[in-house]
Amino acid sequence: MTDTLSRRELARLAVAGLVATAARAAPPVRPGRVGVARLAPSPGHAPIGAAAAERAVAAALAAATGSADGRAAVAALFRPGDTVGIKVNCLGGPRLSPRPELVAALAALLAESGIPAHRIVVFERSSRELARAGFALRRDGGPFLCIGIDNDYDREPSTSGEIGSCFARLVSTTCTALVSFGVVKDHDLAGVSAGLKNLYGVIHNPNKYHDHNCDPYLADLANHPFVRGKLRLTLLDGVVAQCHGGPAYRPDETWPLGAVVAATDPVAADAWAWRVIDGERTRRGLPTLAEAKRPPRFLATAQRYGLGVGDPAAIVEVRA
Amino acid sequence: MTAAFTRREFGIAAGASCAAALFRRPADGAPPAIGAPIAADEPPAREASWYRKLPEGRVECQLCPRGCQVADAERGGCGARENRGGTYTTLVYGAACALHIDPIEKKPFFHVLPGAQALSYATAGCNVECKFCQNWEISQFRPEQVRSAWWPPEALTAAARQRGLPLLAATYSEPTVFWEYVRDAAAAGRGSGVRSVAVSNGFIQEAPLKDVLPLLAAVKVDLKAFSERFYREVVRGELKPVLKTLEVIRASGVWLEIVVLLIPGLNDSEAEVRALVRWVRTNLGTDVPLHFTRFHPTYRLTNLPPTPLATMERSWRIAKDEGLAFPYLGNVPGHAGESTFCPACGYRLIHRIGFEVVENTMAGGRCSRCGRTIPGVWS
Ligand code: SF4
Repeated sequence: MTDTLSRRELARLAVAGLVATAARAAPPVRPGRVGVARLAPSPGHAPIGAAAAERAVAAALAAATGSADGRAAVAALFRPGDTVGIKVNCLGGPRLSPRPELVAALAALLAESGIPAHRIVVFERSSRELARAGFALRRDGGPFLCIGIDNDYDREPSTSGEIGSCFARLVSTTCTALVSFGVVKDHDLAGVSAGLKNLYGVIHNPNKYHDHNCDPYLADLANHPFVRGKLRLTLLDGVVAQCHGGPAYRPDETWPLGAVVAATDPVAADAWAWRVIDGERTRRGLPTLAEAKRPPRFLATAQRYGLGVGDPAAIVEVRA
Repeated sequence: MTAAFTRREFGIAAGASCAAALFRRPADGAPPAIGAPIAADEPPAREASWYRKLPEGRVECQLCPRGCQVADAERGGCGARENRGGTYTTLVYGAACALHIDPIEKKPFFHVLPGAQALSYATAGCNVECKFCQNWEISQFRPEQVRSAWWPPEALTAAARQRGLPLLAATYSEPTVFWEYVRDAAAAGRGSGVRSVAVSNGFIQEAPLKDVLPLLAAVKVDLKAFSERFYREVVRGELKPVLKTLEVIRASGVWLEIVVLLIPGLNDSEAEVRALVRWVRTNLGTDVPLHFTRFHPTYRLTNLPPTPLATMERSWRIAKDEGLAFPYLGNVPGHAGESTFCPACGYRLIHRIGFEVVENTMAGGRCSRCGRTIPGVWS
């Protein structure tokens, strides 16, 4: 068995996606609004129970969208014909990646809204990173698929502003809707790695685009039609966050933020993360990200592109 | 003609998935067999030779002028080097993603063993991102995204020797990013009569350049333009360090040739070409071969036409008018600009068509008619 989707599998998913495109209305976006649900870390890094994870994800979604509950929120954002790609950021390993239970909770809500399991695709750059973060790789069966991009990129590069990249075929071709499921952490070059930085994992050459605190590159990536036209939701596992030393996991730099975060505005989610990371850095006597010469400049650029609200002071945090 | 190794020799199985499954690194940590494909999720890691450690587990790469400062678990701009817990590692040592037998004229070297064949190798990765890269499918990808096979330095030189090839050429992508591999392959070849050459963008720091230069027989540098703006916008690099590299190589006595790819509207103006030629004449001398090659649309510059022949010929004339002894044209098969003429008497010494040497009348590094010394590596 290979680690990339076969052409037949892709074709099956793509056809479903095309059907979905025709039936879809524009999903609602709440600029500048971030929904935050409380979820305390469990002692000794034990997994969080499925029920608690489901409650937190549903509450964050409801708060982010103003919907009555998580199910209504998902129903407003996705259609049964969608093929939904959930990009998870597993670079930080098992202690600093989205918890599989939270991802499973989102997948369950998608399934409840009528999206079949084979059209819910959890993915990361490589199968290896997924496995290391505790995800069970799955190309068939189960409540959702879970696969690495591995080497399955478009044959030709595609340009947006300063970036020129081959996109994962999952993103360019297969999926009709995307979710960026990141974490809340400091990043040595970007300043913040939350929802937008996670998307570097969908192109083949992110290492080329880290100069100048990833600006304008991250904004250019988010502005590419493959992303801008499909990204419906950002979710962040902020149960444990990291304020310094990222992107790798540094236990001494983490703190129990105890939050699951959702936003339909992808820029706002990152601006919120910037705010809480700077808050924790200040509490610890560390320089702010701007003082440390890594402000997430890409947020202002993304705001200028009309992708969302990038000013941390302008973010409305709605607590569940 | 390019003679590729057969797939079997190169060691790549028919399907990528098969390769990954069959050729994983042995469980005891021993390297794979020579020529065996390297599992995509386990590129060989070896401590880099040119970097320094920074506080908090970060490192600073000291290989190319980008000087990437890299946090733990991250990679430098080339994608071929990774910080693993504060130790900077190269992920491409011995990991050849291309291995071919090419005429040396293809590099192009026109003053190095004319008509000789070179065992040419490359790994994934590059430290710049030229929008016109001909080999972007290996240079602009990370090692795990490209199929590579385990060819340690000694195996490369042994393969060259077995085939009677006098040269090993680090080429196709950017040798700077696999500089440790180049160094060790060149050292291994020295004792066995296989000389090494490198085909580089010249975007390298002085110390690693000087460390490896004595092991090389020749270097070809792509001088991409003569403006910082072009380097910034089209290459994502810098001109100044490349000019420094050219001076260092020239001063070292290692044979140097320069290639300029002329791209319509971007770097081919008469003024820019003249300024470039004058810089070469003033800083490197008149005897350095300067090749102008013709652009063909590719990668991210598919909107531009091939370079008009008139532009090529104008640049060739400028170089001659400014006193360069060995200007050449590339990618214009059959043109006189492909051949070597004696700068003293005008006699055609090496007649080339494309990469083929049709006739070579050189006499021991001299013009066979007037006796003028023709610089290069001739024997
Ligand atoms: S060789 Fe690679 S890692 Fe080193 S400075 Fe250059 S781009 Fe950065």
